[in-house]
Amino acid sequence: MQLVIAGFFALLVVAFWVFQVAQHQKFAEIAENNHQRRLPMPAPRGVLFDRDGKVLVENQNTINIALVREQSGNIDRTLRVLAAATGADEAKLRETVSRRRREPSYRPIVLIENASSPQLAAFKARRLELPGIIEQPLPARQYPSNDLGAHLFGYVSEASETDLTRPEYAGAEAGSMVGKAGIEQAYNKLLMGTDGDRLVVVNSRGREMSIAHETPPEEGQRVQLTIDADVQRATEEGFRHFGYNGAAVLLDPRNGEVLAFTSLPAYNPNQFAGGIDASSWNELMENPLKPLQNRALQGRYSPGSTFKIAVAVAALEEGVATPDFRVFCPGGATFYNRYFQCHLKGGHGSVDMRHAIEKSCNVYFYTLGKMLEVDRIHKWASLLGLGEKSGIDLPNELKGLVPSTEWKKTTREPKWYPGETISVSIGQGQVSVTPISLATMMMTVANGGTRYTPHVLKAVDKGKGWEPVAPPPPQSTARMKQSTIDTLHEGLWMVVNAAGTGGRGKIVGYNVAGKTGTAQMISLTGAKIAKGKIDVRDHGWFVFFAPHDKPEIAGVIFAERSEHGYLGAPIAKYAMETYFAKKEGRPLPTLPPLAPPPARVVATATQPVATTAQVRQ
Amino acid sequence: MFERRLFFHVDWLLLAAILALMSIGVAMIYSTTYIQIPEPGRPGSQFYTQIYAIGLGLIAMVVFLLIDYRKLAESSLFLYGGLLLLLIYVLFRGSTQFNATRWIAIGPFNLQPSEFGRVTIALMLAMFFGENRRGARNIGDLAMAGIFAGVPILLIARQPDLGTAVTLIPVAFGIAYLAGLRMKFIGILALCALVLAWPAWHFALKDYQRTRIVTFINPDLDPQGDGYQQRQARITVGSGGLSGKGFMNGTQGQYKFLPVAHNDFIFSVLAEEKGFLGVLVALGLYLFVILRSIEAARLSKDRIGAYLVGGIISGFAFQVIYNITMSAGLAPVKGLTLPLMSYGGSSIIATLAGFGLILNVRMRRFTN
Repeated sequence: MQLVIAGFFALLVVAFWVFQVAQHQKFAEIAENNHQRRLPMPAPRGVLFDRDGKVLVENQNTINIALVREQSGNIDRTLRVLAAATGADEAKLRETVSRRRREPSYRPIVLIENASSPQLAAFKARRLELPGIIEQPLPARQYPSNDLGAHLFGYVSEASETDLTRPEYAGAEAGSMVGKAGIEQAYNKLLMGTDGDRLVVVNSRGREMSIAHETPPEEGQRVQLTIDADVQRATEEGFRHFGYNGAAVLLDPRNGEVLAFTSLPAYNPNQFAGGIDASSWNELMENPLKPLQNRALQGRYSPGSTFKIAVAVAALEEGVATPDFRVFCPGGATFYNRYFQCHLKGGHGSVDMRHAIEKSCNVYFYTLGKMLEVDRIHKWASLLGLGEKSGIDLPNELKGLVPSTEWKKTTREPKWYPGETISVSIGQGQVSVTPISLATMMMTVANGGTRYTPHVLKAVDKGKGWEPVAPPPPQSTARMKQSTIDTLHEGLWMVVNAAGTGGRGKIVGYNVAGKTGTAQMISLTGAKIAKGKIDVRDHGWFVFFAPHDKPEIAGVIFAERSEHGYLGAPIAKYAMETYFAKKEGRPLPTLPPLAPPPARVVATATQPVATTAQVRQ
Repeated sequence: MFERRLFFHVDWLLLAAILALMSIGVAMIYSTTYIQIPEPGRPGSQFYTQIYAIGLGLIAMVVFLLIDYRKLAESSLFLYGGLLLLLIYVLFRGSTQFNATRWIAIGPFNLQPSEFGRVTIALMLAMFFGENRRGARNIGDLAMAGIFAGVPILLIARQPDLGTAVTLIPVAFGIAYLAGLRMKFIGILALCALVLAWPAWHFALKDYQRTRIVTFINPDLDPQGDGYQQRQARITVGSGGLSGKGFMNGTQGQYKFLPVAHNDFIFSVLAEEKGFLGVLVALGLYLFVILRSIEAARLSKDRIGAYLVGGIISGFAFQVIYNITMSAGLAPVKGLTLPLMSYGGSSIIATLAGFGLILNVRMRRFTN
């Protein structure tokens, strides 16, 4: 009997040895998985500051309601109860879960983003019926000024599978929040930080008992921008005040720092931070004004008369004309057997370079164009940044086009006709530019030939204080003759301060230099055909820098459908006034109330189409 | 009645082993029922209850030690009658927990009369066979013994408490074996059991009892359902490893992956927190207790003593071996506690009373 019992005990010893020693590894792993859950702890993105340390973009904690499938016995039932409790659309919840069914079952699936407090309360009250449903605190991106600088900052949203292959998203996982436009995208790597995770011990009901291990998330780097929040605000305020959409870029011509950057209409990036719903997204996508398009970088428009600056620089630098070179303008002239009008029917009379710039005399620039020929215009336009990418540190910039014989060879009609040069010399024909490239041109003209790379990144803080970031090298340097610089600066000063078209940009004491232009939408004959069907009103340009002898601010105002360049000048004026007032410590300016209130002309079938479309001022 | 010299014949070693096992049990109950939330936590009520029960059990042990076992055996018929009355009372008036009616509520305590079945039947059968000078030679005696054991077994099985009912069978067989029951009879009975198994499966067993057996054979069939306990028991034991996760550091028991950890699966928790080494110590102690008790039976000066010890220790050994096998996930899960270690007041008191009798027999081996 003793033997039998001892035998049983021996068998038990063997059995326990097999489980506890021989197969220990296997069971230990199962036990670990049994009671530990790895919960991601998303890192807050880096905060964005303006050049003076004002917070531009920050984070706010939101709470998501998520499902951990492995802890939920009956997912169907759980979703049904959750939908009933929180008022969420059950079909949508199901779709979310089924879309991500291939992910590991311990990974939480976010069901309700940015849950409202009634939703959270309802969830808590019925927690026992909702196994596997968890609250996930999530630092969400917060844009305190809503759509201010939307295209500049960009927005964040969940990374898709295809996103993950892009270099700026290295380190991101499917579902992590990444920057999808603007600075958020360009500096995603800096801003994203490193997600932490938390190993929590849960009991058999999934309740969290304690934290076994925690790798705290590393917040993204704090980033200081070159943007001046006040100038940025003033610029956008100006557009709204005067009732225009469009784009603006304001640069420091001494180094290429971007002081303000906008594209309007904008969107509210806060909508994306908490996950944008389909209807809002469709609304943005289908809006005929295209609020998602970054006009400053991607809009390509005819530069109109602003292009004359490039032609003037080319003529002076190439030596085909001196500043005193005079042309008699009778109101038009014939080149290559074709008559080209000046915008002033009676003619400007005899003008030199400065006055030709001031008055924007077409005949003068036709003449320079003929003397230069297209390739030299192309060369200098490119050196000034036109038809090139500015190289700004924001994503998805497009190039404009400045024609050349080289380029013409790639088109269907490879031969360059000299007559085409005449149109090009006043910014028409094939010429197209982006707003940022015109800003670059003004910066380069202002500083005498250095085409700095516009940039928005000033400094980063990795936790040890601000470390300035070296500015990118200039795109090109063309040391312009002093006489060229003087002529341009004086001529452009006269545009604003003498008898030119830019008088509305004048600021007493600050010697603003500028030039207006009209981006023609359609030819005169085309306009007649399209009459009433599409909006054919022209866009207005105002390019500027100030003060004209020692420029410290330069830029472009592109006012969509403003028809006249000079209508954008007050926006520039207001932005520059803000800049100078701030610099000198004076109270910031305010905009005078408009009388009558801003009533934008809406194109209707009866609206007469501008008959001056062919004639530039 | 108690002679001074008897004191020196008390088996202190056996007593020490019993106390050691109970201490391990109390420690494991402390560990598994400790209330962690809110911080800093406090021991669960089960811990205190168990200590009271051990106190009461030790008193019962002393009582059953002091009274000469022969006197007890002589009055076993009264004890047996009392047991039957209590069991019948339970069937009609008992308190119900977890779908079973096993308890009699006495104030704040719940008495589980079935736990006292083993000792009573052991006394009863020891008396019956011990008085019968011929031993268990004829079928009539055996049938008589079968009826004695069978009535309470059926009453307990009706509660339903199959686990406890089954533990009475080895008591009866242990005594019958010592009394000279030939193996032939045991073989015949086993054959009968096999023949009866099929109708029993279909008519006698309840659904939950059937699923337990099915899931024992294939625990992965339903890992979240009935196979769950078995699977978790194996994980608990296996993850303990050689030296264990440390006292109160077991994850399976602490986080309630293993159900009734302080009760039926207390040995699994020991294996988890103290590892294979702890298992060896506990198994060694149990083996010592059993072998030492068998020795007491051999040393007994009369047959009543030998049968009594044999019956008690057979039931004890069966329960220990079955429970530990189950703790490793190697036997169907039954509501069967591990004597001396599992939580349970009635179980502790009855077990200690039983050991009181074993010590009693050994102590009086030289008296007349």
